[in-house]
Amino acid sequence: MRPLTLRRLVLQCSLLMAILFVVMVIALKFGAVPVSLYALGRDLLHVLIGQSSQISSDYGLIVINIRLPRILLGIIVGASLSVAGTSFQALLRNPLADPYVLGVSSGAALGAILALIAEPHLALAPEYAALLTPLGAFLGAIGTIAVVYLLGVREGQIDSSTLLLGGVITSSFLAAIIMFLMNTLSGNLRGFTYWVMGDLSTAPQKGVYWILVVGFFVAAGAIYTLASDLNLLLSGEKEAMHLGVDVPRVRLVVYVAASLLTGLAVSVSGAIGYIGLIVPHLMRFLFGSDHRVLIPTAALGGAIAVVFADTLARTVLAPNEIAVGAVTAVVGAPLFVYLLRRRLR
Amino acid sequence: MSTTPTTARSPVEMARAAGDTRLSVEQVSYAHSANPSQAPLFTLEATSFQAKPGEIVAILGPNASGKSTLLKLISGALAPLSGRILLDGFATNVLTPRTRAQRIAVVQQESPLLFPARAWQFVLQGRHAYGRSLRFESADDLQIAKNALAQVGAKELTDRWMEQLSGGEKQRVILARALAQQPLLLLLDEPTLHLDIAAQIGLLDVLRRLAAENRYTVVVVTHELNLAAEYADQVVLLQRGRCLRVGPPAGIYQRDLLEQVFQTPLSVEFTSSGRPRVAILPGS
Amino acid sequence: MGKVVRIGRGPATVIGRNAVSQATLPSRRGNRSSRESAVPEAPDGLVGLFCFAEGFLAWKGSWIILRSIRSVTAALLVATSFAVPGNWKESQNKEVPAAETFREVRDETGRTIRVPQTVKRIVSLSPNQTEIVYALGVQDRLVGDTDYCDYPLDAQKKPKVGGTISPSIEQIAALHPDLVLVTKLNRLETVQSLAQLGIPSYAIDPHTVDQITASSLKLADLLGAPDAGAALAGSIQKRLDELQRRVGSLPPKSVLFVVWNQPLISVGKNTFIADALRHAGALSVVETEQGWPQVSLEEVVRLQPDYLVGASSHSENSSSELESLTALSGWNMVDAVIHRRFAVVSDAINRPSPRIVSAIEDLARQLHPEAFADGPDLSKQKLMGQIFPVDPVIGSRPGVFSRHRHENSFSPGVCACAR
Repeated sequence: MRPLTLRRLVLQCSLLMAILFVVMVIALKFGAVPVSLYALGRDLLHVLIGQSSQISSDYGLIVINIRLPRILLGIIVGASLSVAGTSFQALLRNPLADPYVLGVSSGAALGAILALIAEPHLALAPEYAALLTPLGAFLGAIGTIAVVYLLGVREGQIDSSTLLLGGVITSSFLAAIIMFLMNTLSGNLRGFTYWVMGDLSTAPQKGVYWILVVGFFVAAGAIYTLASDLNLLLSGEKEAMHLGVDVPRVRLVVYVAASLLTGLAVSVSGAIGYIGLIVPHLMRFLFGSDHRVLIPTAALGGAIAVVFADTLARTVLAPNEIAVGAVTAVVGAPLFVYLLRRRLR
Repeated sequence: MSTTPTTARSPVEMARAAGDTRLSVEQVSYAHSANPSQAPLFTLEATSFQAKPGEIVAILGPNASGKSTLLKLISGALAPLSGRILLDGFATNVLTPRTRAQRIAVVQQESPLLFPARAWQFVLQGRHAYGRSLRFESADDLQIAKNALAQVGAKELTDRWMEQLSGGEKQRVILARALAQQPLLLLLDEPTLHLDIAAQIGLLDVLRRLAAENRYTVVVVTHELNLAAEYADQVVLLQRGRCLRVGPPAGIYQRDLLEQVFQTPLSVEFTSSGRPRVAILPGS
Repeated sequence: MGKVVRIGRGPATVIGRNAVSQATLPSRRGNRSSRESAVPEAPDGLVGLFCFAEGFLAWKGSWIILRSIRSVTAALLVATSFAVPGNWKESQNKEVPAAETFREVRDETGRTIRVPQTVKRIVSLSPNQTEIVYALGVQDRLVGDTDYCDYPLDAQKKPKVGGTISPSIEQIAALHPDLVLVTKLNRLETVQSLAQLGIPSYAIDPHTVDQITASSLKLADLLGAPDAGAALAGSIQKRLDELQRRVGSLPPKSVLFVVWNQPLISVGKNTFIADALRHAGALSVVETEQGWPQVSLEEVVRLQPDYLVGASSHSENSSSELESLTALSGWNMVDAVIHRRFAVVSDAINRPSPRIVSAIEDLARQLHPEAFADGPDLSKQKLMGQIFPVDPVIGSRPGVFSRHRHENSFSPGVCACAR
């Protein structure tokens, strides 16, 4: 018997945080423009003590103003997607669930496409114009969450299999609409395929960062308070109810919070694939299926994975950038096959 | 054991007045419609019985007699159409899931586990109803889980993976989880379904012992006539949603009645201990 | 916390997450029962590593250190989030000498941008913008372009910043441009990212050949080379007028411009290619508002264009692209395919830059050879020289020399196929 204790949880998280720190340093160092570790440390120190104006080297500014926001974005997006994936796998009792299975990413894509189409017709100041695509994507995500919820509700509570069906159907319906739009309209949709694959190159503004961070902690926190309920939910819904879990409430909170996490992540970075699917499995592999451990480690693991994949995407074909979703797919699919085979062997 | 008629009084009064009646099922019925346009079908008509601490009640009947419905009503999973179910004076279906889990434990056929778990992790799930959110299990919880496993005779299974256990072993661990909830009422839905005869008897022996030691009230849904006859203190006989009779086995096991309910020729004998025993008569 | 568990040999072995005495445990190397293997476990070594790390850290009493690492990292993350873009602009402005002035300009997508009065460093994110820069003679100010900027040859030697859709923002920023030239080929996100760093982007979006000239003029003004712009516009206009004189009065040939074979994609009436066709005395049979419509074969059969027109890549056997259409089933119902009335022009027709005029002229010659019967003595070489007056490095111009060759070896029976 080796039950979970707070101490073990903190240790495991600290380990992952250390790995994340190392990956961050690697990501800051490597890129289209080379940077030395000493210069990096010195510039970061300047930033920390608030004297960012002291950074004189050009490369230092590039690192601070371009790479660092991109890495921070990668951390938040990776953490959000992993926690969302973990939650959906528990909610739908399906190990193949990922954050996009309920159609949130398709809704966000539709919102983004509509925003891209509308953008030339609205005379917006540049700061607001940059917000239009993420805003459109987020609204699309929220709309999809509501529609799928209405489809998945039976007798006043969410029913997992109906929810899954509703989500899959909504997802394909929206994807069809998107394809139709892309085919018939000749607007500036060229970069849309990039967005669909997942792309971290557009750094949002500072306010958006704060929204992402606050949204992450609120939503992931809400899910985390239900971590032991999720453990029981995986044993079966009837059993969970008899063991004291308020199943309708748990389903509703987890559904809304996880969809919100997905919507936030997808709005700013497109649909980066395989993170929400693989990272939970990997963390389960290493740390067990207890959600009290799984959720924080999945968040950290997702951050590590996305920052690492993004660094590869930036450097492998420099100065060309691959979409980060392409890298996660290339690495993630074989990894998933490996995990699957270990499970079935 | 006579059933005391009850009237609507305050729970505390009732508890004092009714002596040590723990579970009181009063005129409980349930109807269900497949879709909103159809008229509802009565899956269970008004049924009443009472049970004391330490008693084993068997709900007996052929398939589709409403046994599982009655169990679900008692467990609070369903709200009754009419009547009420009182556990120590409290109506079960208005309790929060958490409080209910602290008083009622249900043992049923398990859905397959999605992700692997060890037996002690499984049993610890029973302590969920006693914890705050984000709580890690305390030493007390661990001790209770260990005791529960010991009580069902599954101590050596503590560190085994659940998927590796045989049917009988799994059933005992599930029972241990129910015990870890420290319930007042233990509900079991066809617990002997997939077990061999030795495991069946083993399980019921354990139930009888636990009921006596820990003063549980145990309600078992079964269609095994002889097991019910041997172990139950009270039997509730159901047929097609109607409660035909409630009472000790000796009073229920009458040949004509049983043949009518189970639709097959039977013969009833009585053992030396006064318990009835049913023998099957192959059809001509 | 208890003692460190030793791994592997020794009194205890770590299996899964438990330490079990080796004495009581059977070997796990033997046959696994099917039930056992259904349970996925991390490789013992990996879990052992984690357990070891946990144990080691705990044993060393590094609790405090761990906590401080955690809080330092968190503080780092939070503090650096304050350094999110905004500083770049400040530093850039500080480096600018006090006498520098700016002006507000409206680009062709309606965006208003703020550009320095004298633009010293340019990055081009679009091949046609690069060509215009060279045509205006200001290429010494071009500090970077894309992988696809291949014309003229000198453009290939400039520092590269990546593709048109996915350029590296870092690389662009490292080149310290005053201005970035973009078109609809580039993504909105790229423009927005550059704007956040304080780098303005100027977009052109010509839909007709006249607009190409106009865009070049505006760009010339912006870059402080109005004379070169006027000269360029003048020479283009002269050639277009010459074309108008020759083919303007002739009935236009109906053509289908083939952008892509499978699926069959042509050009809509609002594209610069359609306008280029008009200048060449041709009329695209596809009349639609869509930019790059997918056309069905039935429509082509119904419309029966006189010619099929395609653009070549930089290879000799480019006509085979159109020829391969003949192999596809159903195309033998199209007259132009039966009689092999193909017209192939250089890739310049796909780029809205001054060089498109050569492709237009080429096409006009192929479609209306009788209008040029009075001596095609305007050699392409001279024409090129007129357009790119200051560029001594002409390099190879795709199709020019080979075209001459084919004209010399004209064989009867083969229609006006330029290759």
